[in-house]
Amino acid sequence: MFHVTKAYPGDPPVLVDINLDIEKGEFVFLTGRSGAGKSTLLKLMFLAERPTRGQVLIAGRNIARLRDSGVPYLRRNIGVVFQDFKLLPNRTVAENVGFTLDVIGTPRAEVREKSVKMLRRVGLEHKADVSPMRLSGGEQQRVSLARALVNDPALLLADEPTGNLDPALTLEIMDLLFDVNARGTTVVVATHDATLIERYQKRTLRLEHGSMVADERGHKAARLMSQSSPLA
Amino acid sequence: MSATAKLQYFVRTALGSLVRAPFVHLIAIASLALALVGYGSARIAQARLVGMMKSFGGQAELVVYLHDGQPPDKLDALAQALAERAHGEATLVSPRTALQRLAAELDEPALLGADLGDNPLPWSVELKLPVGERDPSRLKGLADQVRALPFVRGVDFGQEAVEALAQIEQALRLAGLFAFALVFLTAVIVVSATLQLAIFARKDEIEIQKLVGATDLFVRLPFLIEGMLQGAIASVLALGALKLAGRALAQGALRNVGLLIAEPGFVVDWRRLALECLGIGLALGLVGSFIAVRRFLKV
Ligand SMILES: Nc1ncnc2c1ncn2[C@@H]1O[C@H](COP(=O)(O)OP(=O)(O)O)[C@@H](O)[C@H]1O
Ligand SMILES: [Mg+2]
Repeated sequence: MFHVTKAYPGDPPVLVDINLDIEKGEFVFLTGRSGAGKSTLLKLMFLAERPTRGQVLIAGRNIARLRDSGVPYLRRNIGVVFQDFKLLPNRTVAENVGFTLDVIGTPRAEVREKSVKMLRRVGLEHKADVSPMRLSGGEQQRVSLARALVNDPALLLADEPTGNLDPALTLEIMDLLFDVNARGTTVVVATHDATLIERYQKRTLRLEHGSMVADERGHKAARLMSQSSPLA
Repeated sequence: MSATAKLQYFVRTALGSLVRAPFVHLIAIASLALALVGYGSARIAQARLVGMMKSFGGQAELVVYLHDGQPPDKLDALAQALAERAHGEATLVSPRTALQRLAAELDEPALLGADLGDNPLPWSVELKLPVGERDPSRLKGLADQVRALPFVRGVDFGQEAVEALAQIEQALRLAGLFAFALVFLTAVIVVSATLQLAIFARKDEIEIQKLVGATDLFVRLPFLIEGMLQGAIASVLALGALKLAGRALAQGALRNVGLLIAEPGFVVDWRRLALECLGIGLALGLVGSFIAVRRFLKV
């Protein structure tokens, strides 16, 4: 990302002159207080929002200028775990996961097969045919993750994937994310949870009032984080 | 990404939506059917009016007056030539017969008895057009053609009446076209508003589809199929209603009203009407749902 600024119409900019570079295969935390602009930054990457100024390069292409008709093809290579899950209550868990495959015209039987296989990977095979409404928060989070991963994306964006989970479930989700990363997918996790960052010692980008105030790796990042004011 | 897999998916999605939310779809179908009943009745009324115009035209037959001095043995051939040109029947009227008619009309038998010397009336040919071709504009065109022939002195066909009729017919056509455009526009607005209700129930689904990489066309197609299905169902319902109404009119129940619309011998071309209703129903459903789904695609 080069000199990216984003303002929602009528408001002062949410992100100001952001520069960052994420390598293929990296695992990156994106952190900052609630309202710092983490979600907005992720949205710029799958074009749920367009930058007001600046360039967003993915695989060498400036997607800031991508035509609307090109957006679907970008999104097919990016898995997104939404903060609010975005699961449909009137479809089964497997059907929710299958959405990603439906939109690229995968035959029905294959959709079912791949969805169930993906659910097995997140430990929810036995819940394939129930409504997501009958699942706990952690289980819904995993369904959302399964939907993001079922088409084997090159980039995974996770917005507060451990948002309201207890420590055990948090651990489970994080293990899944590292597993995905180990298989070659670039992973960006937005979180306001400082303990996560301290525990895992990964590269960390920190946003404050719309500016990038730190880009640190491993132990150094953790030390900086613990010295600064506690995060919301 | 096989095409059949996609098609199956679209049809399945469209049918699934009909089954899942039958009420909104019933409203959409009802509004479509009402629009089509309106169209159908207007169409039948128009056909009836045009039929009336044609029969008026038929009464004004053409009288062609010939120049004097045609060889008497050629007269029959001339009449025959005129009949062929008009695709109709020709009757040769001699000056003598014409005078008799005039005398009868004026109630002056003395005309016949009096020796007028030369009969001043010319030979003439009465032309009758076949039933299918009796519309005013045709009649006028034929009169102009015939008038240009060398052996013709003049043509008489109640020109003013026929021209007035032609104008009325033209106005009727225009009014019909205008009414059709108005009904279509209103129907599109009503139908797309109704369809929006159905689509609103699925806005979350559309949002997610788009977020995981669906193209607009992909999101749209099931709704377009749905719209066309509704249009088809509505046109069947509308035709059924029109047919029932037609039967009620024909059988005594509404006889007095019926005579205005369905005089004996007037038949509705149901095949054509069915095709038109189906076509318009499909178009309405298609355009309506195309417009309705638009505002949900922005994700
Ligand atoms: N769609 C939007 N329209 C207007 N303002 C928005 C919108 N989304 C987010 N914002 C504002 O942008 C700022 C950053 O929001 P967000 O990116 O969600 O932060 P975070 O994810 O770090 O909590 C907030 O002040 C929020 O109110
Ligand atoms: Mg957020």
